[in-house]
Amino acid sequence: MQPVLSINGISKSYGSIKALKNVSFDVPEGSVFGILGPNGSGKTTMLSILLDILKADSGTFAWFGQPGSPDTRKKIGSLLETPNFYHYLSAVDNLHITQAISGRGTDADIDHVLEIVKLAERKHSKFSAYSLGMKQRLAIAAALLGNPQVLVFDEPTNGLDPVGIAEIRELIRELAIRGKTIIMASHLLDEVEKVCTHLAILKKGTLLTAGQVDEVLSNEDIVEVSSGDPDHLKSILNEFPGYSSIKQEGKNVRVFFPVGTAKLEEINRFCFEKGITLNLLSVKKKSLETKFFELTND
Amino acid sequence: MLTLIKIEWLKIKKYPAFWWMLGIVALTYPGVNSMFYYGYEKATNGKEMTNNIAKFLLGNPFSFPESWHSVAYFSSFFILLPSILVIMLVTNEYNFKTHRQNIIDGWSRQQYITSKLFDVLIVSLIVTFVYVLAAAGFGVYADSTSVSQWTAQLQYIPLFLLQTFAQLSIAFLLGYLVKKAFIALGIFLFYYLVIENIAVAYARFKLNDIGRFLPFEISDRIIPAPAFFSRFGKDAKASYDHALSLIPEHVVYTILLTTAIWLICYAVHKRRDL
Repeated sequence: MQPVLSINGISKSYGSIKALKNVSFDVPEGSVFGILGPNGSGKTTMLSILLDILKADSGTFAWFGQPGSPDTRKKIGSLLETPNFYHYLSAVDNLHITQAISGRGTDADIDHVLEIVKLAERKHSKFSAYSLGMKQRLAIAAALLGNPQVLVFDEPTNGLDPVGIAEIRELIRELAIRGKTIIMASHLLDEVEKVCTHLAILKKGTLLTAGQVDEVLSNEDIVEVSSGDPDHLKSILNEFPGYSSIKQEGKNVRVFFPVGTAKLEEINRFCFEKGITLNLLSVKKKSLETKFFELTND
Repeated sequence: MLTLIKIEWLKIKKYPAFWWMLGIVALTYPGVNSMFYYGYEKATNGKEMTNNIAKFLLGNPFSFPESWHSVAYFSSFFILLPSILVIMLVTNEYNFKTHRQNIIDGWSRQQYITSKLFDVLIVSLIVTFVYVLAAAGFGVYADSTSVSQWTAQLQYIPLFLLQTFAQLSIAFLLGYLVKKAFIALGIFLFYYLVIENIAVAYARFKLNDIGRFLPFEISDRIIPAPAFFSRFGKDAKASYDHALSLIPEHVVYTILLTTAIWLICYAVHKRRDL
């Protein structure tokens, strides 16, 4: 299947600072694609290039198999960095401008998207009178206008309260179920882990990894074990064959194996034969946060 | 094209500064001409010999067809009013970051500049419309016996439109490149009111009048001082005739400069990061 977005060797510098270094990855159709990275890693620069706000120094990209153009952008609902609207206009008037430029949606759709983001009651208020969270909701409404197949969200939960964050997360899930492709840049690892099917991690402009979330996270098996004497347990497990490393964390011991090689029955039997009765034996999935720090820490 | 104009109208029609500026222009243009008109009335209405001399010297600059010229000349002093609006219209886009959003939503960079060109054109047309109303009003009011000559100097309408568009284009370029409203306005006012006037006056006496090629002066000279100015001073008549003879040349320079301004905007916008 042709990817919705294909990025090939994009580089971008601001003077002597290299914001992106030869970045390439594909975004499959129907995926929720998270772009992660610390501040200054190049996430927004990447999305800005894809939306023709910035010019790449080198490299190419294609939306729907076509080079980026006004026509391809019209098919994409986008929220980039901050909600950008005319301060003296109401939500409805601002969305009329979005509608007129993009050709997405109708007057009825404007009311519909404002209901989705819970701004219907304030739709005639001026943008300048909105709170930060309301502005963010309006930007999401603008992106949703006309029900586009592809959505680009740069920090979509910025400025939202916990309830708002949960609502947007749920909205993204619903959109994904409806087959939308969503490209989302975020600092919030928990948020990405909860909704994304794919991810790319950037650090100082370099792509560290990209692929399906499970693939990126599962490059090793982690088995967590515990017994009445964790020190003794650790020394015994040092003799167990095939592991790559062992760490003691409080009363628990974590044993790391190459992916797909951890066998719980063998560990259990090994310990039992050595006279240790386990009170905990489970496979732990590495959290995105752990993986992220592992990849991005120097 | 029509779609771009419609979208710009959506942006402008609820912008309070647009209506304020329009109101100020609608009051200022007739107002400033009224001042000159009543000055003229005061100088010429009376039975004294000096009144008759003044009437003989001045003619009636506000009767047809001279009103097209006089009102254009006096109104053109106040180009800075619509210039403020034009600078606000372009710097607002940076301030609100909507210059980015318009592209994100699907405009090409070229369409964005074209939409701004339409903004400047719309403001120029409105200002010209106010001028036409004022000039026609004075023509009828000042001397009803000359109404039959109303068609004689209609060329000042397109000349006024061209001058307005050209000078507002300079204001646009400044706002477009500087991006910050107050800095752009400061530079504009200081240059327009002080620097260029001094430079033009100095060049007139010392540098063979090359000041006529300065940005505002190029288009200022397509509407020279009205005919009655030529009735004062030894060489005034010759100077007036010379100024009239330079109009076609300056129309060409004005068109060239204005075209260059917009080509610069298109070229810069095509390449620069937004």
